[in-house]
Amino acid sequence: MAFPHRLDAPELPDFSMLKRLARDQLIYLLEQLPGKKDLFIEADLMSPLDRIANVSILKQHEVDKLYKVENKPAVSSSEQLCFLVRPRIKNMRYVASLVNADKLAGRTRKYKVIFSPQKFHACEMVLEEEGVYGDVSCDEWAFSLLPLDVDLLSMELPEFFRDYFLEGDQRWINTVAQALHLLSTLYGPFPNCYGIGRCAKMSYELWRTLEEEEDGETKGRRPEIGHIFLLDRDVDFVTALCSQVVYEGLVDDTFRIKCGSVDFGPEVTSSDRSLKVLLNAEDKVFNEIRNEHFSNVFGFLSQKARNLQAQYDRRRGMDIKQMKNFVSQELKGLKQEHRLLSVHIGACESIMKKKTKQDFQELIKTEHALLEGFNIRESTSYIEEHIDRQVSPIESLRLMCLLSITENGLIPKDYRSLKTQYLQSYGPEHLLTFSNLRRAGLLTEQAPGDTLTAVESKVSKLVTDKAAGKITDAFSSLAKRSNFRAISKKLNLIPRVDGEYDLKVPRDMAYVFSGAYVPLSCRVIEQVLERRSWQGLDEVLRLLNCSVTKEDKASSESLRLILVVFLGGCTFSEISALRFLGREKGYRFIFLTTAVTNSARLMEAMSEVKA
Amino acid sequence: MRRLISACLCTGRKYELYSMDWDLKEELRDCLVAAAPYGGPIALLRNPWRKEKAASVRPVLEIYSASGLPLASLLWKSGPVVSLGWSAEEELLCVQEDGGVLVYGLHGDFRRHFSMGNEVLQNRVLDARIFHTEFGSGVAILTGAHRFTLSANVSDLKLRRMPEVPGLQGAPSCWTALCQDRVAHILLAVGPDLYLLDQSACSAVTPSGLAPGVSSFLQMAVSFTYRHLALFTDTGYIWMGTASLKEKLCEFNCNIRAPPKQMVWCSRPRSKERAVVVAWERRLMVVGDAPESIQFVLDEDSYLVPELDGVRIFSRSTHEFLHEVPVASEEIFKIASMAPGALLLEAQKEYEKESQKADEYLREIQELGQLTQAVQQCIEAAGHEHRPDMQKSLLRAASFGKCFLDRFPPDSFVRMCQDLRVLNAIRDYHIGIPLTYSQYKQLTIQVLLDRYSKPQDSGRRAVCGQASQPLLDSCGHCSSPVSLGSGRPELQAGVRLPSLSHLTLVPFTPSPARLVLRRLYPLAIQICEYLRLPEVQGVSRILAHWACYKVQQKDVSDEDVARAINQKLGDTPGVSYSDIAARAYGCGRTELAIKLLEYEPRSGEQVPLLLKMKRSKLALSKAIESGDTDLVFTVLLHLKNELNRGDFFMTLRNQPMALSLYRQFCKHQELETLKDLYNQDDNHQELGSFHIRASYAAEERIEGRVAALQTAADAFYKAKNEFAAKATEDQMRLLRLQRRLEDELGGRFLDLSLHDTVTTLILGGHNKRAEQLARDFRIPDKRLWWLKLTALADLEDWEELEKFSKSKKSPIGYLPFVEICMKQHNKYEAKKYASRVGPEQKVKALLLVGDVAQAADVAIEHRNEAELSLVLSHCTGATDGATADKIQRARAQAQKK
Repeated sequence: MAFPHRLDAPELPDFSMLKRLARDQLIYLLEQLPGKKDLFIEADLMSPLDRIANVSILKQHEVDKLYKVENKPAVSSSEQLCFLVRPRIKNMRYVASLVNADKLAGRTRKYKVIFSPQKFHACEMVLEEEGVYGDVSCDEWAFSLLPLDVDLLSMELPEFFRDYFLEGDQRWINTVAQALHLLSTLYGPFPNCYGIGRCAKMSYELWRTLEEEEDGETKGRRPEIGHIFLLDRDVDFVTALCSQVVYEGLVDDTFRIKCGSVDFGPEVTSSDRSLKVLLNAEDKVFNEIRNEHFSNVFGFLSQKARNLQAQYDRRRGMDIKQMKNFVSQELKGLKQEHRLLSVHIGACESIMKKKTKQDFQELIKTEHALLEGFNIRESTSYIEEHIDRQVSPIESLRLMCLLSITENGLIPKDYRSLKTQYLQSYGPEHLLTFSNLRRAGLLTEQAPGDTLTAVESKVSKLVTDKAAGKITDAFSSLAKRSNFRAISKKLNLIPRVDGEYDLKVPRDMAYVFSGAYVPLSCRVIEQVLERRSWQGLDEVLRLLNCSVTKEDKASSESLRLILVVFLGGCTFSEISALRFLGREKGYRFIFLTTAVTNSARLMEAMSEVKA
Repeated sequence: MRRLISACLCTGRKYELYSMDWDLKEELRDCLVAAAPYGGPIALLRNPWRKEKAASVRPVLEIYSASGLPLASLLWKSGPVVSLGWSAEEELLCVQEDGGVLVYGLHGDFRRHFSMGNEVLQNRVLDARIFHTEFGSGVAILTGAHRFTLSANVSDLKLRRMPEVPGLQGAPSCWTALCQDRVAHILLAVGPDLYLLDQSACSAVTPSGLAPGVSSFLQMAVSFTYRHLALFTDTGYIWMGTASLKEKLCEFNCNIRAPPKQMVWCSRPRSKERAVVVAWERRLMVVGDAPESIQFVLDEDSYLVPELDGVRIFSRSTHEFLHEVPVASEEIFKIASMAPGALLLEAQKEYEKESQKADEYLREIQELGQLTQAVQQCIEAAGHEHRPDMQKSLLRAASFGKCFLDRFPPDSFVRMCQDLRVLNAIRDYHIGIPLTYSQYKQLTIQVLLDRYSKPQDSGRRAVCGQASQPLLDSCGHCSSPVSLGSGRPELQAGVRLPSLSHLTLVPFTPSPARLVLRRLYPLAIQICEYLRLPEVQGVSRILAHWACYKVQQKDVSDEDVARAINQKLGDTPGVSYSDIAARAYGCGRTELAIKLLEYEPRSGEQVPLLLKMKRSKLALSKAIESGDTDLVFTVLLHLKNELNRGDFFMTLRNQPMALSLYRQFCKHQELETLKDLYNQDDNHQELGSFHIRASYAAEERIEGRVAALQTAADAFYKAKNEFAAKATEDQMRLLRLQRRLEDELGGRFLDLSLHDTVTTLILGGHNKRAEQLARDFRIPDKRLWWLKLTALADLEDWEELEKFSKSKKSPIGYLPFVEICMKQHNKYEAKKYASRVGPEQKVKALLLVGDVAQAADVAIEHRNEAELSLVLSHCTGATDGATADKIQRARAQAQKK
């Protein structure tokens, strides 16, 4: 278990510099407002902030009290108020209401808004409309990259997904470009770039512009990171929609990992207190099981427990000196390991309790059937029953979307009846949810797609390839069809099963889904790396729509450090799969994502909930 | 013409800058004259208004370089001019009698016009001064009503009317503008009294230590830095002191009672020597601390131009510079000087003559350990020499001396060589900027080249040098295009020194972009290249200025200009095409501006100008191209104000990115606009969604909510989305019903989903109602059965459940019954249903209720391998040992067969 990396795999760059940069900038900004001040922090920024600067650092820089930005009047009595927020209109209204309340009360204080990661003109507009623009000073905290782990950078922008893929709002693309620019200034240029999706393309272009404007800085530096992949989430919804079965993914699905840490409730800690655990490579136990299929985890943990016990047991028969040695050197480590082990065992048990029930088996079976595209009727009625029984609104939605994407849209009858059932179960406001899902291409109706294909193929025969490509673009953007089946065939995403898939010694990335499916996003990366270009993938590219390439082969042959950027979020399963690929082929992957996501988060982002 | 020798009299010397061959038609005394300091241009305007009768011919305004080359000449068509002066930006300010100020460029191009206010207009201008502060150039005006009005900065015009001077009947005998503590004051003399006017008050002041018997002040002069003041009285007595009048520095009695034509300070910065130059018609006198004055005879009409470190004097035929001899020069050139620098110069001369005396001199210096000092002196003195041959011989001496020094840092020598080359180049007759070394250092190279403002500098550089670089006395030549009529680049505020017709004027921080202003682009570029200035700071900026000039050539077609500019500038770093385009737009060439913008690689830079040019739609698409959403938003707001609502929406319609951005904004800030947007687009689907959202977010009352839903349903029908319309109608029905249920049964029903409503009814024991509801809303059987099953089990109403299970054949089978009972931990009930489960699910059911043995039997009976292994996986421990065996046996048997 926990395979070692190949010897020729490169070292990961040191990303702690990013934290230092962010911290220094924040401190600088705080000192721009000298004297005691109260700091109002937006809830979404609390965890990331915690990873950058703890309370004592804030206090050192004269932050007096900390408040959460909430929808209620502030009780702060400080003369200086500082707001640390995302650039959102509702936050501006909050600030404005505070300032206006002070004005009414005849009170003058200093107000400063620090936007992270950047300021938007619309926000200033709102401040102006509310008549407080002159009273408030604005600043930017360009904190866009949080290293969650040695190989995982997160922008902590979950709203990116909804904003871009649903609302078509491109604000954050600039932020992505800035982040890439920062990385390339710190870690050298990236010789090879590949991208799939519109957003990838736009980010890439914006980023190039930034690089050109600041020419000369990265020039001449030796590249460290050889390849960069930019992937839009909507290129591969399927992978994100599947139930995760590697340990880290399961923990995320079950307990929700937030900003690299998880709150294990009493059912895990088997005490009455819940426990916050930081999940990253520093947790030795976790590091060994995070990428494992869940079926192996328990066995591993119990083996580990036995080893640990054995090490403890060595105490017996030790003389005093040895014992002293043991206590001073090993015991602490063992205790630590023991503690971690018991946490993860607790988590495993809790997951088992939830997941090993028949329901979960059935669910997985249905998912696999959907991926492979057989027994569609049966799966459909399974989903229907799922809805009827009100098992879980999010799960039901997820299954419906999975069905829609793998089948290239639901047949009209199912489309209507499933929606009706869903509305009856969960309320009519989900009419909006469905409208969102349709717009994002997650849940669609089949009929129009077919006619399009017919027209399309005719057209493409008539005109040149390039023009045809454009037309295809136009058509597919009309109906955002997924083409999953065709892509799956082309890329061989469903491994042929001969006998039992050995999850203990996986042979390909499919292990992250119990051997049933190779994540599309990861497969594309694998193929490009293998072929060293898009060569031979033309058909796939056509199906996936819109791509970017910049290759500089000469300088990059030996570079095995690869940056994968997920626009709209990536799942732990994808991370595990690519880590596996890296170990097999001697690459090291670095992940940059707008946020770590999973199926539930995607669905929630699309759901309309009553306020 | 009287030749001026380098008159070396104690502290002052005078040398010729140029012999002027300007072809003056008029006598200087008949003209209004203004010369800008820092070797700036000279403007002349024949003053016909001074004569009793206005001449019928219109006067000509002429502008010359300091070397007398004509730069511009134009017929004066406006009203009578009282005063001329140069602004900090080297713009010529012509103050008219009516208080209007006309502003012209260096090349005689009209810039703009501003007025000094109504009061001035009514009372006419009696006298005017242009003065300089650190903020810019100011204008002070004395009106016919003997009141003062001033503006401290003409580029940010704020008029200030100064308080009245009590008892002032006639015009003051002399006055000047002072600048102290960043505020402009007026100092004026009325008879024997002096008054200081500031913004709020008029206070009488007395110079300390003033000799008695003064009945009138005839002339006053403020020094270049506003620090010192000189007063000339009717007794021929000159008082020199600080500008605050509190301290007397020295005094002098010249015994000449005639009022001088001009009086200016002549001193160099940080020098202890004070000297004032007083000019009468035919006499020039330099007075200072010494009991003796130096006198010159003036053959011709002459004008004095105060400079930072001396005085320029020009007349019809010559242009000279009078200054205090710098210490280094004095040390070296003093007769029989034994200063190290002088010895070194001597040594070098002897060395060239191959005389052994060279060695003697050198030894003498070395014995005193003053060689370093000697070299430094020579270098410094070279800087102050005007003639290249003198510069060369001093530098040669320095270079010679350096050979005998081990460690002498070379940069001062190298820099001096470079500076002198630049200075010699610009002092050239064709260029005509006679800057001294000190002025050049104060001005900085950037200002000389192309900047408009300069950092407040103070430090003088230490002089020391090494390295032997050959010194050439003149930098490459340069063609200086001198054209008239068309404009030159507009400049922003900066400070620049002028000199005024009769009286002394005192400027402060200098600035403007000398060479660029004179359109000497090739020379400027050569200097940049020679000094190896980084491209972005040097050549690029010059090229940009050139381009800005180019766009003003109205006779060249837009195409050609754009191409020419692009050819020359290409992708030079640091050149902003949008700035050039802005200039083109400023000249009214919108089309050219748009063409130039095409070359701008950063689309973000194109947008603001496009907006200014009212090409908002183009701006919008450029903003979208840039990918900068903030920029898009800026354009959107602009469009919103510029267009009517309909057109605005139409524009949005064609730009999906902008549309979604604006929608996002509206969603949070302007909901009504959002609705209008959808309406405009006939986007009924979104409109429907909008009303649905309103139905549960905005509306409180049930009637309002139903109404919102009705609107939504109508919209959905229009959108041909029957499904949504029907669903919405169902919801309306449900809402009404829930309201009724709440009224009749109490409890909470509103906003429950249909499923939950029915469940709540069942849980409340209202089975009839529940069934009615299920029928009304056509709840499918399967759902109803699940629902009832779950609800009854939750109630633990096992009896009712059993009744229900028998009411008809279950559409969902009986396995769910088993599952649900087991979930409630009721094995007993579960078993009841297990028996009714159909054969294909029997095994599962039996396993659920924990009857492994019977499950095994059934599985064996079914001969189903999957079922067998399922049962086997449930066999745990010893209790099921027998069963496990049984299965294994059955398997074996099956295999045998």
